Amino acid sequence: MNLSNPVSELFWRRLALTPAVGVFVLLSLLPLANLIAMSVHEIRWQDGHSVWTFIGTSHYERLLDDGLLKKGFFNTIFFSVAGVTIQIILGFLLAWGVSRISRGRVLYRTIFILPILVPGILIGAIWKLMLNYDFGLVNGLIGLINVQPIDWLGTASLALPSVILVDIWHWTPFCFLLLLAGFESLPQELHEAALMDGVTAWTELRYVYIPLMMPVIVVTFLFRFITSLKVFDEIYLLTGGGPGSSTEVISYTIYRTFFTQDQMGYGSAMSVAVLFAIALLMVLGFSMSRYKGQGV
Amino acid sequence: MKIIRSNFDFEHFFLILVACFVLVPFIWIVAAGFKSQISLLQGEIFFTPNLDSFREVLFSKTTEFFSNACNSTVIAVISTFLIVFSATLGGYAMERMHCPRWLIHTLLGWSVVFHMIPPITLVAAWFPIYRELGLDNTYSGMVLAHMALHLPMALWLMANFIHDVPIELEEAARIDGCSTPYLIWKIIVPLIAPGLAATAILMFIFSWNEFTVALNMTAKQTSTVPVAIAKFAQGYEIKYGEMAATAALALIPALLFLLLGQRHIVKGLTTGALK
Amino acid sequence: MKQGISRRDLSLGAVSAGALSTLAWSPSAWSQAAKQTPFTIVINNSPWFDGFRKVVEAYEADTGNKVNLDVNPFGGSLEKQRASVRTKDGMFDLLIMNGLYYQEFYHGGFLTPLNEIDPGFKLDPQMVRYDNTVYWNETTKSHDPAGKLMSVPVNGNIPLLYYRADLYEENKLKVPETWDELLANAKKLHNPPKIYGIVQRGARGSPNDVSYDWWPYLNSFNGNLFRNEAKGDFTITINSPEAKAALDFYLRMAKEAGHPQTGGLAQAQIIQNLVTGKAAHALLVIAAWSQMDDPAKSAVVGKLNAAKVPRGPNGKPSPVLGHWLAGIPKNVPKARQTAALTFLNWFQTRGSQVKYLQAGSPPVRQDVLSDQALWKDPKNRWMSAMAESSSFTRLMWSIPEGAQIGDVLELRLNQAVIGELTSSKALNLIADESHAILVRSGYKTGKITPLA
Repeated sequence: MNLSNPVSELFWRRLALTPAVGVFVLLSLLPLANLIAMSVHEIRWQDGHSVWTFIGTSHYERLLDDGLLKKGFFNTIFFSVAGVTIQIILGFLLAWGVSRISRGRVLYRTIFILPILVPGILIGAIWKLMLNYDFGLVNGLIGLINVQPIDWLGTASLALPSVILVDIWHWTPFCFLLLLAGFESLPQELHEAALMDGVTAWTELRYVYIPLMMPVIVVTFLFRFITSLKVFDEIYLLTGGGPGSSTEVISYTIYRTFFTQDQMGYGSAMSVAVLFAIALLMVLGFSMSRYKGQGV
Repeated sequence: MKIIRSNFDFEHFFLILVACFVLVPFIWIVAAGFKSQISLLQGEIFFTPNLDSFREVLFSKTTEFFSNACNSTVIAVISTFLIVFSATLGGYAMERMHCPRWLIHTLLGWSVVFHMIPPITLVAAWFPIYRELGLDNTYSGMVLAHMALHLPMALWLMANFIHDVPIELEEAARIDGCSTPYLIWKIIVPLIAPGLAATAILMFIFSWNEFTVALNMTAKQTSTVPVAIAKFAQGYEIKYGEMAATAALALIPALLFLLLGQRHIVKGLTTGALK
Repeated sequence: MKQGISRRDLSLGAVSAGALSTLAWSPSAWSQAAKQTPFTIVINNSPWFDGFRKVVEAYEADTGNKVNLDVNPFGGSLEKQRASVRTKDGMFDLLIMNGLYYQEFYHGGFLTPLNEIDPGFKLDPQMVRYDNTVYWNETTKSHDPAGKLMSVPVNGNIPLLYYRADLYEENKLKVPETWDELLANAKKLHNPPKIYGIVQRGARGSPNDVSYDWWPYLNSFNGNLFRNEAKGDFTITINSPEAKAALDFYLRMAKEAGHPQTGGLAQAQIIQNLVTGKAAHALLVIAAWSQMDDPAKSAVVGKLNAAKVPRGPNGKPSPVLGHWLAGIPKNVPKARQTAALTFLNWFQTRGSQVKYLQAGSPPVRQDVLSDQALWKDPKNRWMSAMAESSSFTRLMWSIPEGAQIGDVLELRLNQAVIGELTSSKALNLIADESHAILVRSGYKTGKITPLA
């Protein structure tokens, strides 16, 4: 066994990674640069060519008056916070449950992962059928106990919660998977020690598992939260942002602006502003958690 | 004794309850592949199953299912492997090789920001480059795109899992004269096996279900399963049956990967663990 | 002396044979036409696509030329077309554009006028012009019939009134001519929850649901979005008393004979209600017809029939266009452009259009649509309504900013349907917001007195 020089190791690794990193940087920086450039221009097409006119911060000023965007922002935050919190709690309880039992582990694990194997489009299409006022399974089931049919997706107050429900169904497996991995990484001795000490499951949970699992929980929450802010498929297929603007979300507004309306400049400004807002939230969140962590 | 028994029952009860909530819609989705369209639209619970949708998807003159499934598999497997490999190495570099903290924070921050860019704008930015380089409608182009999309998350996940490995083990191994690759392969990897498997599964699923880039960067030859499914949502008619049939068939390789992944990958990674 | 065929004889013979064959040139002599290079059509998947595909195969068999079809989901086709025309070398040679988004391709100058590819090409007089959307005047930026020919229609998708002919016979009802008659019939058949008198697309859609459904009402009540679009006067007139009358009627229809949750119904739900027998009437595009008589997709096989859309008390029926046009982009090689145009030339012949109908898609030639011999087949019972509608078709707008106005319409009209806004408030908001959009884009525009 030869003693490798850690420094030369690093050098070789850096060298080997450079082309990959280079392409990667190009592919990820370029869109952002493109977005920022477009956000300060008005872009038109004439005679098959694009015409870029510099307009400074006009688009950004327009954003401030955009009532639909504001509604979308609040809807999205509500959707993400409510949805992801429930997903984490549910995923955590499921992971904890599965890690404790001895029989049927593989079966349960496979079952609980199933929803994310289904493509988003199909989930949207089938849930739309299931939540249908006249023919849906859900109204059929509640009809069995003599409840009148409810228009889940067509009633302004129920639409967003219904979409959140579908999102929970779709994405809890993500949280479950990561949290289960976290549980399985913990040493076995912990559980045995707790049993020997005769603590109840809830105590064990509160003082042993949650603190130890905190890093995984935080990572999972953050990732799921960020991807949840981008929610699109479900809204597009289930409600189209309606009724009214009750399920309007940011990525849907951006999609319509960018794509349906072909407003590249304004759409870019919207994207950049949203990116900035989220990044700000993240930074605040991080610094708050670090502040809290120092108290431990 | 009594406490343990009631805990046990509670767990199974809870798990079974949730399993029902998960399975009922899932079975409904798969069952859609066996129903006629009118039966689906009427929301029939008891129906006579038929194989028309499956026949249409598998054997019709215009079917591209096998080619799409093949493309999806190739792209997903290759990109998963490359992503997990790069993420593990990169995660190790970040955690153990004394990378400056600002670099790590920038990288992580960047992955957050990148995730928020709407997929449409990504595609719009990449498309001209791809055309120039001749990468559109190729496997390499798709794998590259998927790597760009999902590597940040994988990197962050792997870094987290590696972070949890006690540093003393590594120091002991180093004293024994371990070289870094050996260290990673024989010691780190077995210890992060559950996390590695989870990441691999997620990366596979994300690549498998990825839609926006696949739609715009592929044509007939490299089209993937999600694009095929989307084509059944036709604007004036949504062919639910064919969508469900395609998804159900596509589930089979995904499930296989999942089951094999759970058993063999984890087993393979944990053999030779430090003891 | 040898009596053989001299070289001179041969060459003379060749020349005369060539002259004769040129004289014999006609659309039916396609197999002798010059071989074309393969080209690619970008199109979306839809119920009428199947018919189109079969017709393409017939073309390939007839001529020996090769055609590639790039098939996409509805929205995906636009994305790909846009990406293709904006790069240096396009990937697609024939773009199948929908009536709701073709405007950007015309305005952006991405398409080649067809006569620049072949000066001799003529759009057959029998091909329906669909509100002159095939013509384009670059200077005035309008659909001027004296302008250049930019595209050939491949599908004339317009809404028709689908109604339950069996229930009409039972109840001895007459096919309605006006909206009032339709409302009366719908009320007669309205029996919730078993069956709804009419189902309307009140949902907020992307690109559209409620605005597309309401537009025939608007135009036939003599309401208009712009004062005079053809002449370049884009004064917003959507909040006129006529428009209010149209919107009030639409809402009244929903309340008195419609679905209790009209605000949540998109096109898919309209179709669902029709095929399951839960709706007695609906305004639905002809492109969705093929599902109605398919036993695997419908519980009302043979029971539905179609009529042209009703009109307001003093107006004309105004089926709104959601049609499909085939255009040829500038950024592809001349050989492929010629190949695409050759296909279009073949496509517009009477024989091809009859094949198109037999393959299951509505034809775009008026003589085929009006062919009473074809009407006799019960499968084609919708054709008379469609033939009658050809001269009344109305375009929603001809400007790319229409997409932004469409979004405003969708939101506000949906809010009116679910009761969040009164009809006056909704129309006034639409007017204000549309006006802002046009001002920003530099159009000659103005507003009228708002509704009280």
